[in-house]
Amino acid sequence: MTGVSVLEVEGLTVRFRVPRGAVQALTDVTFSLGRGEILTVVGESGSGKTVLAHAITRLLPLNAEVTGRVRLDGEDVLALSEAAMQRLRARRLALIPQSPGAALNPVRRVGPLLLEIARVRGLPRDEARARLGGALRELGLAFDAVAGRYPHQLSGGMQQRVVNAAAMAAAPDVVIADEPTHGLDADLVETTARQLQAIAAHGAALLVITHDLRLARRLGGRTAVVYASYLVELRPAEGFFTGPAHPYGRALLRAMPEHGGVPIPGLSPELTALPRGCPFAPRCPDRAPVCEEAVPPPAPLPDGGMVRCAVHAGG
Amino acid sequence: MTAPAAGRAGRPVPALRLGTFRRLPGPAVLAGAVTAALVLLALGAGVFRPLDTYTVALDAALQPPSLQHPMGTDEVGRDVLARVLHGLRVSFGVSVLAALVALLVGGTLGVLAGALGGRVDAAVMRFLDVFASQNHLVFGIVLAVLFRPALGPVGAVLLSVGLTHWTSLARIVRGELIALRGQPFVSAAIGGGAGRWRLVRRHYLPHLLPALVLGFVLLFPHAIFHESALSFLGLGLPPHQASLGNILADGRRSLLAGAWWTSLFPGLVLLAASLAVGTLGEYWRDRHHPRWRSELEL
Amino acid sequence: MIRLVAGRLLTLPLVLGAVAVMTFLMAAASPFDPIRAYVGAETVVDQETRDHIAQAWGLDRPLPEQMARWLGRLVQGDLGRSHLFGGQPVRDLLLDRAPASLLLMGSAMALVLVGGLVAGTLAAAFRDSWFDWLVRGASHLNIAAPSFWVALLALYLFSIELGWLPGAGMSDLRSTGAPRVDLEHLILPASVLAVTQHAWFTLYVRNTLLEVLREDYVRYARSHGMGRWRIMFRHALPNALIPFVTLAGVHVSELLGGSVLIESIFGWPGLGTLVRDAALGVDLPVLVAVTLGSSVLVVAGNLLADVGYRLLDPRVREGLP
Repeated sequence: MTGVSVLEVEGLTVRFRVPRGAVQALTDVTFSLGRGEILTVVGESGSGKTVLAHAITRLLPLNAEVTGRVRLDGEDVLALSEAAMQRLRARRLALIPQSPGAALNPVRRVGPLLLEIARVRGLPRDEARARLGGALRELGLAFDAVAGRYPHQLSGGMQQRVVNAAAMAAAPDVVIADEPTHGLDADLVETTARQLQAIAAHGAALLVITHDLRLARRLGGRTAVVYASYLVELRPAEGFFTGPAHPYGRALLRAMPEHGGVPIPGLSPELTALPRGCPFAPRCPDRAPVCEEAVPPPAPLPDGGMVRCAVHAGG
Repeated sequence: MTAPAAGRAGRPVPALRLGTFRRLPGPAVLAGAVTAALVLLALGAGVFRPLDTYTVALDAALQPPSLQHPMGTDEVGRDVLARVLHGLRVSFGVSVLAALVALLVGGTLGVLAGALGGRVDAAVMRFLDVFASQNHLVFGIVLAVLFRPALGPVGAVLLSVGLTHWTSLARIVRGELIALRGQPFVSAAIGGGAGRWRLVRRHYLPHLLPALVLGFVLLFPHAIFHESALSFLGLGLPPHQASLGNILADGRRSLLAGAWWTSLFPGLVLLAASLAVGTLGEYWRDRHHPRWRSELEL
Repeated sequence: MIRLVAGRLLTLPLVLGAVAVMTFLMAAASPFDPIRAYVGAETVVDQETRDHIAQAWGLDRPLPEQMARWLGRLVQGDLGRSHLFGGQPVRDLLLDRAPASLLLMGSAMALVLVGGLVAGTLAAAFRDSWFDWLVRGASHLNIAAPSFWVALLALYLFSIELGWLPGAGMSDLRSTGAPRVDLEHLILPASVLAVTQHAWFTLYVRNTLLEVLREDYVRYARSHGMGRWRIMFRHALPNALIPFVTLAGVHVSELLGGSVLIESIFGWPGLGTLVRDAALGVDLPVLVAVTLGSSVLVVAGNLLADVGYRLLDPRVREGLP
């Protein structure tokens, strides 16, 4: 790991209270992220990935119960007052939303909205305009070309670049991108990947959440795999994509079209009723009796990574 | 997803559920209790307050509420509580009938439009648009005036309510039927040679029952308001059939003499009745038929 | 946009024609006797006089012909004559009364819009607080409470008991000269009319805002560190206002119905009292004219709502002609 960690997440657990019981969205998630680093979290939809983004930024709905620690430069984010959290979001965090089309206010023109965001983020008026212009130019758009338009008048790719520029302009310390390539075609995925790398190159700690394994491989850095609310593997991307340690990671790679597109048998467990043991055990080809008894603890791997597997703990 | 309850022929029948009583919220329980209490009071008006409603005692005129007269007395010395109870009975009776008339008109036209489709449907819908473009009260006044000579005051009120309040129910019934016509079990019944009326009786009506009952419950507060507004204006029930609206019209005269009780109490009872029944209906609708929200409103 | 307005204005005569035909047929179907209504219940008329009147009015002709003649006059703007108000042309009568009603309804609408917006926004901002519960409780009571009863209570409290505001008429009776409106006479009826209608608007604003506050773009605004009120006023309200405008347009008809009761109670000399008096005196031409007029108002309200919607929502403004 390079440098000092900006973002440290430790034992983060999120449950949603629902009329009948609770939904376990994240269980005991631990990782840290330094400046200029990229961590890509991959997993199936409904595995708890988006909840991670909203838990760190404290944008979860009111029925969420959050335990564990989230530290930003050592400061406990979860313990902050709402006012302090608001300042933190404005000055140090940026969220690139899951679907830019829905995240951009439909009755606000893009230009004034971007300027308002930049102003709230503490940029003086002239500088806001210049920084936004610069960020958009880097992404291949001219400020004046989009400023007078409404979100629905922009293409999906343009909307994506607008929210990327909004995140870049104020140079936050941590950028969290939630499904940044959702619904984009291959060209735009490549463009977005370059944009994200540029954000990290500017010195931000970048957390990317995606179901797109190719994007994770393309981005490099480290890759984390989420399954049924657990972080089951966390590795340098190169190591993960050449030899995943967790059986679920292997199954995921085999399910990629270029590796044969073999589907994973069975279904993910319901987050309302997780099994006592390893959540992947019922679908796991390497299942051992020990797997059914308890969730295996995270075990270190030689390349500095982590795996939660009783059978493959030694790598 | 649990499978819907299967009917006799294996087709899903929407049950006319009153909800599981375990999880009934406070307001619904309270509304149910108030409704039951008001119905009992209206039915037993003569027993609970056996004063002669029409006795005139001018020496006891316009007395403020006391132990003997909990709601005071009116300008000719009649006990307001007794009048209110009897008025409640009249208003309840007329409003139930009026809501049934609206139900009948809306249900019939809705079934015609939904079951027959085509030109009949188009004609009914245009007809409906014309009625929907009218304000209920203004149009209801015109109807009451027109039909009063033929049907008498009660008949005119019933028709006035019925012909102004049928449109939302007709829309729902039509929509339900159109949705139903596409269902496999209906196609099967048609394929099996079921006639149009057998279809209506055996398949359509059981499905429409929840809409009709709910429509009736939610029409009731409208009916009781409409009836009392007409009576208040002197266009509804005759003064001797004192409904709550008539009593309020009397109360308005006493107001100038400083008597607030002749207006306050009848109105409170009217408010309680429409609030209780309306709350029940809305609770039931939101719980079991939320898609009718936009059409069936209190 | 122009096409929308033009289309609506073209359908207006169709709707009015349908309403006119329907009203005529109902009047014809009812056993209502126009001659009896004309001469009054007390006067005895012999058959010869009856026939004479019937002939003069064209009542001896076949029904379709009667209807055609009536519709023909209607198209020319002849709404008939009121027999209750000394044979005055109905059109003049309506034009005479309309300003007072429009003043009352306009004031009430302004109060309702402002009050509903403020109360609904605060209730949504402080969701589930005591204020929210108060607003919701009061609104539900308000919807169920008969408007004329609320008017009676207000009349008693503010006019009779406290004596703060005049409770009858449009101006001080002692004043001489041209008819005029005193502001203090307007306050009570306009406020009561507004109060009896405001619950719809308040609940609507509250519920729409709560829905809007769950949208992605609100969370996105929060993710940039925007505060509660900035989000409310600059991000949520502009969206919630779009359907609000529609509601206001559709509600014009409700105001008209409410004003019949409120005007009657406060002796406000507008269309509402005209309707009441015409109904009590069985003045059919006036009632038919008011029915038609109320249809015009409803169609106009709906049109206003659609136009407002299109002007406010950029998605619709661009998408549709």
